[in-house]
Amino acid sequence: MTWPIGEIDDLRRLRVLAAAIPGAMYVETDLPARFDDVWQVLGDLERALPGLVPDVRSVRVTEQHGERFRAMIRGRSGLRAPFDGILRPGWCLMQSRFVSFGIAVAPDGDGTRLGYMSGFRFPGMRILGPLLVPANRLLGRVVVRRFITRFDRDGDSGGRPM
Amino acid sequence: MLDDQRAESATAGPVRVPDATIRSAQRGDLIALHDLLEAITPYVRRLCWPIALQDAPDATQETLIVVLRKLGTLREPAALFGWVRVIAVREAVRVARQSSRTAPAELIELPAPDDPALTADIRDVLNRLSPEHRAVLTLRDLEGLDERAAGEMLGVPAGTVRSRLFRARESFRRAWRTEGGDR
Repeated sequence: MTWPIGEIDDLRRLRVLAAAIPGAMYVETDLPARFDDVWQVLGDLERALPGLVPDVRSVRVTEQHGERFRAMIRGRSGLRAPFDGILRPGWCLMQSRFVSFGIAVAPDGDGTRLGYMSGFRFPGMRILGPLLVPANRLLGRVVVRRFITRFDRDGDSGGRPM
Repeated sequence: MLDDQRAESATAGPVRVPDATIRSAQRGDLIALHDLLEAITPYVRRLCWPIALQDAPDATQETLIVVLRKLGTLREPAALFGWVRVIAVREAVRVARQSSRTAPAELIELPAPDDPALTADIRDVLNRLSPEHRAVLTLRDLEGLDERAAGEMLGVPAGTVRSRLFRARESFRRAWRTEGGDR
């Protein structure tokens, strides 16, 4: 006998991770570009993340083994930190000793649905998490605006019109 | 919805998750949480679909959230999949019951594991059962639990489950024989 099984997309997976990480910020938005075009940009972490992810000035991938990689990220404050990550089409997770973030994208009609998550890895986040809600809301709006602006600009420069 | 679903073997068992991965995930390591999700999601989907049907993606998501949030309470890594199974079945039943799209019918027919109707169209059979009875059927046929164990997992008295299943099975067989005789 065979039993049917439903799928669960990467946005749902990222929602799960965000819900499980105390104090994590999670936002979703629609991007006016096709999935392949979006991932062509986001999949190139060294070029894509600076300007999209808050406080990331540069990214240098130092090791890569299949979906796993290690990268050195330099922030606008000048601080550097090694990040471990997982990267595959539509899915990117990264974490350092103190910070973690994730990006998930999935096709949605002619556009793309984006999920973005970030959080701190400090002890006590379960208690501090609720205090971060207002800041997370603000940060979420900033991140959404950056992603939408990035793909609007790609459209203006010859990409698929909105 | 059904077009997005694929059939997989019911015999595909859960994969082994290294203890170190579970311990790291319990400490909030994002990469370990990812690895854990990769390992348990197929199993959770396999349990949630037959119970929650159209709401299976929501049930799967809710199950995984509960699993990760309560992961710190899992003391013995070897017990992972049994623990996940309890959560998955309960969440699937809860989500299916809450859904306005689900209209649980009184259980009047539940096929035996070797009944040809299950092979013919299991989705149709499942659609005609309440979430609780879909859960019993799933636990019995997919997980190999007897009705008593399935009833305990669902918080239903074993005797009640057994008698309902017995009556349901007889009812189903009569209906099946009648239909077969007409052909």
